[in-house]
Amino acid sequence: MSDYVLKVNNLSKKFKNQVALNKVNLSIKKGAIYGFIGQNGAGKSTLIRIVSGLADKTSGTVELFGYNNGQELIKARKRMGTIIEGPALYPHMTAAENLEAHRLLKGIPGKECVEKTLALVGLQDTGKKKAKNFSLGMKQRLGIAITLLGDPEFLILDEPINGLDPMGVVEIRELLKRLNQEYGITILISSHILSELYLLATHYGIIHKGNLLEQLTLDELNAKCKQYLHIKVDNTEKAATIIETRLKTNDFEVMPNGVIKLFDSIDESGKVSSILVNENLVIEELMPMGQDLESYFMKRIGGIHHG
Amino acid sequence: MGNLFKSELYKLKKDRSFLLLTILLVIVSICYPLLIVFDEGAGLIKISDFYQSTVLNGNNYVIKLAPCILAGFFISNEYSFGTMKNIGASGNSRFRIYFAKLMVFSIGAIIISLILPIVMTGASALYSGFHDMPELGYFVKTIGLTILYAASFSSLMALLATILTESGKAIAFMLLFFLLFDGILYGLSTLIPIFELVLKYSIFDLLLKIVNVDTFMNGGMNKMIIVPIITYGIFGLLGSLLFIKKEIK
Repeated sequence: MSDYVLKVNNLSKKFKNQVALNKVNLSIKKGAIYGFIGQNGAGKSTLIRIVSGLADKTSGTVELFGYNNGQELIKARKRMGTIIEGPALYPHMTAAENLEAHRLLKGIPGKECVEKTLALVGLQDTGKKKAKNFSLGMKQRLGIAITLLGDPEFLILDEPINGLDPMGVVEIRELLKRLNQEYGITILISSHILSELYLLATHYGIIHKGNLLEQLTLDELNAKCKQYLHIKVDNTEKAATIIETRLKTNDFEVMPNGVIKLFDSIDESGKVSSILVNENLVIEELMPMGQDLESYFMKRIGGIHHG
Repeated sequence: MGNLFKSELYKLKKDRSFLLLTILLVIVSICYPLLIVFDEGAGLIKISDFYQSTVLNGNNYVIKLAPCILAGFFISNEYSFGTMKNIGASGNSRFRIYFAKLMVFSIGAIIISLILPIVMTGASALYSGFHDMPELGYFVKTIGLTILYAASFSSLMALLATILTESGKAIAFMLLFFLLFDGILYGLSTLIPIFELVLKYSIFDLLLKIVNVDTFMNGGMNKMIIVPIITYGIFGLLGSLLFIKKEIK
């Protein structure tokens, strides 16, 4: 048996003249929580839709649980649950009725799994309330409940925490961690909230303009989130010019709040400090710090970084 | 296929448009003959005439129009709600998904199309004291053909609902299409002879002939049976091919 739940090889997708995915190679190990990171239109949803069988690929292969051809690949999808671009619910049905429709679809014997799954996501007390009257958080949880029917081994969750309040975000995070740790479910999750992904995922894939730039584990990410000098002075513009001219580097980033993140000279904070002081700048803060996932992602896709 | 079918059947039972159409047609079926009884007196109603002139002719509109509303809610709404994504990713082939949906939709269309012939005829028979009932053979044949034509129209509606994917648009377009299409076809047939042949062998024209089922010889009856079956197959296959190629959004 393959150690990988999902393997995508040289996957490409073209819409007329636009390349949505360009020879993407991606693999997700059994038991991983894979954070899929990319801007809007980067190709995340396109890849997820192809893996789920909702869209055709232009070229390349998709291997799910070791199966990569026709009927076997279709059947392998019975072992996964998906939420793609928000939870898909029947608004005129209750939570239990929504689950019942999907229980029948998946051919799960016995109605007891409906109540059990509702309890797992904390929706056991919704009674006759229709899904259309649910809050966004409840809808997201019901969407996750639907994916959990039939004890899937692999969950694909496209933006499952979109629009949730902070409590809702924490609840979903805890639920997904529990599903991964207690039930061994492998999860592919995409989200714009990178701080959340950092708290949840064990592996990461960064996609940009249809190209998978990098795949890395949490440990590798932590190692790669290199240290920087966090500098706050009374005149940011002047400090930026001095760093460029005196330290001869442009490997730094000026944040909107005036903080400068200097990725060079990390071990030379004394030198940096004396240069800034000699130029009559008042140093308010100067300390070594680590990059977070968001900064790393922005740097990786060539965002606002100067370097 | 069994799982898909059960799930679709469950959704049909929960579909509000199906329930509403059924209830409305049952109310009309019970109340309309009552109005005639009040107007003309129970003894004057000949059920056999009433069945031909009112029930079957009126039911032609029900067969062509009422399931359009069901198609909009039962099929197109799956795309609007996004629930078709769940079905598409459920590990079933697109062909099976489409045919399960089509079969259950056809069942819904058949149920709706049988309300007038059964409930209205039954109600009027009760009110008139079973006065001059239609012959059993004739009644059974018309019911059988009603089932066939309701199913064949439903396969065309399922195809259109799959193309349009938005319930409002789908319902409006289909109502217009099914109201005007046979008129357009008739107009074209007077101008271009090939369309006369198309019209002659189309479910649109043959539907109107159900009422004359007792006058058909063998060949005519065969045509009445074979055309809707072939139509169901053709539009079912066309719809499934379209659905297999379709990107589910």
